[in-house]
Amino acid sequence: MQLVAYESRSSVNDTQLITRVVAGDAAAERELYETYVDRIYRLAFRLAGDDELARDFTQATFIRAFEKIGSFRGESSLSTWLHSIGLSVTLNGLRKTKRIRGRESPIEEGISVGFAREEAEPDLKERLARAIDSLSEKYRTVFVMHDVEGYTHDEISEAMGIPVGTSKSHLFQARSKLRVMLADFAPEWVS
Amino acid sequence: MTEENFEKFLKKTAQGYNAPPVRVPREEMWAAIQAKRAAGPRVVYGGGSASPAPVRRFGSKVWLGAAAAAMLLVATGVGIGRWTASGPTPRMAASRNDLPVPGVTISGGQATAPGTSSPAPASTSTSNPEPNRNVATGRNQTRAGGSNVASNPTTNPDRAQPARLTPSPTSAYQLTAMQNLSEAEALLTSFRSRSSADQQMDAQLGTWARQLLTNTRLLLDSPVGDDPQRRPLLQDLELVLVQIVQQLSPGSTPQDRELIEKTMQDNHVMTRLRTAIPAGAQRGS
Repeated sequence: MQLVAYESRSSVNDTQLITRVVAGDAAAERELYETYVDRIYRLAFRLAGDDELARDFTQATFIRAFEKIGSFRGESSLSTWLHSIGLSVTLNGLRKTKRIRGRESPIEEGISVGFAREEAEPDLKERLARAIDSLSEKYRTVFVMHDVEGYTHDEISEAMGIPVGTSKSHLFQARSKLRVMLADFAPEWVS
Repeated sequence: MTEENFEKFLKKTAQGYNAPPVRVPREEMWAAIQAKRAAGPRVVYGGGSASPAPVRRFGSKVWLGAAAAAMLLVATGVGIGRWTASGPTPRMAASRNDLPVPGVTISGGQATAPGTSSPAPASTSTSNPEPNRNVATGRNQTRAGGSNVASNPTTNPDRAQPARLTPSPTSAYQLTAMQNLSEAEALLTSFRSRSSADQQMDAQLGTWARQLLTNTRLLLDSPVGDDPQRRPLLQDLELVLVQIVQQLSPGSTPQDRELIEKTMQDNHVMTRLRTAIPAGAQRGS
């Protein structure tokens, strides 16, 4: 998986890369971009569900990162720092546009919709997508990052600026709500 | 229905949730990033994007400050005049019109402002201790320095005595000219920094400009206007003041202001004004 590539980078490499970027090395900027763009884009796409929005958020993430990299203190890894920017850009962008979250509704409403449309929408994936969309932003973000994109709770907590325990709690809550909403598909996972 | 089964089922099924394309559009996004960075604010490493420097807004406070400085200049001049006139020397100037100008060297009945190139006569040599020489002493010497400084307090035997001046009508003109030029500089500075939406300030500036225009024309008709260096400056200043009076009157257009700016730039009015004004007078002292 491509995600592993950047994770193997040592902090020394990151430090050197940052130093070169700060010094105005265009090749270093491109190297930083190439190293992290895939994961940033994938996360943005997962959360936005739209290629155009995902591109916008990814571009904004790197533009902001290049602007602020001089103030990067190395208190976290470069990857974590970039993801925190990417997550902030994406969530703020989604709040503004609300183009993708048109289907979003409160969790209780999601439950009722799930049960009411059981017969009309038997497709599991579509039901699951609706259920995930109906989660609140914090639950949905943690769920997508952990269960869909494979981030660890440590990475999620640093990127979102929340404690690890909170990240785990959010994931538990998200799963619980999804379980309720997908109760009529129980035979699928029981079997 | 175990928890583990549900988690596995959830993770597996959720992989199709908003599934991103296999090919990440790296090149397109990189090109867009470069374009946006080139078009947007310059990247500043070290925190934050470069924001435009805050524009210094000159408000009516500056105008009031300039007016206060002009008043202070006049008051200081009067104060110096009275102080000088109260000295024990009977030959001191009897009237304010005959007082020397601060920053102006009086020599042989001719006043020379710092910045002008009129050379001092040889008779004003600082080494000449003759008491009745028409030389300004240390108290009256120019603060702007230069070759026209009349006396050196450390070498002049008269340094402990009050200045002895021959009344000269020219010195009064010099004083008036300096005040006028100082005020003109303050006016032009205020005019250039004024807000076009501030009608109250425009009215004040218009009144001020008319007064200065009148004074400038009087100076042009006076002996000061005969100075070959000062006369062109006064003439250019007159032109600018006329334009300002017209521009501040109703019915003027924005192009009028550009015309004034062009006139000032072409003729280097501000630079010449600041050169002609002695440092002491400029500070209102």
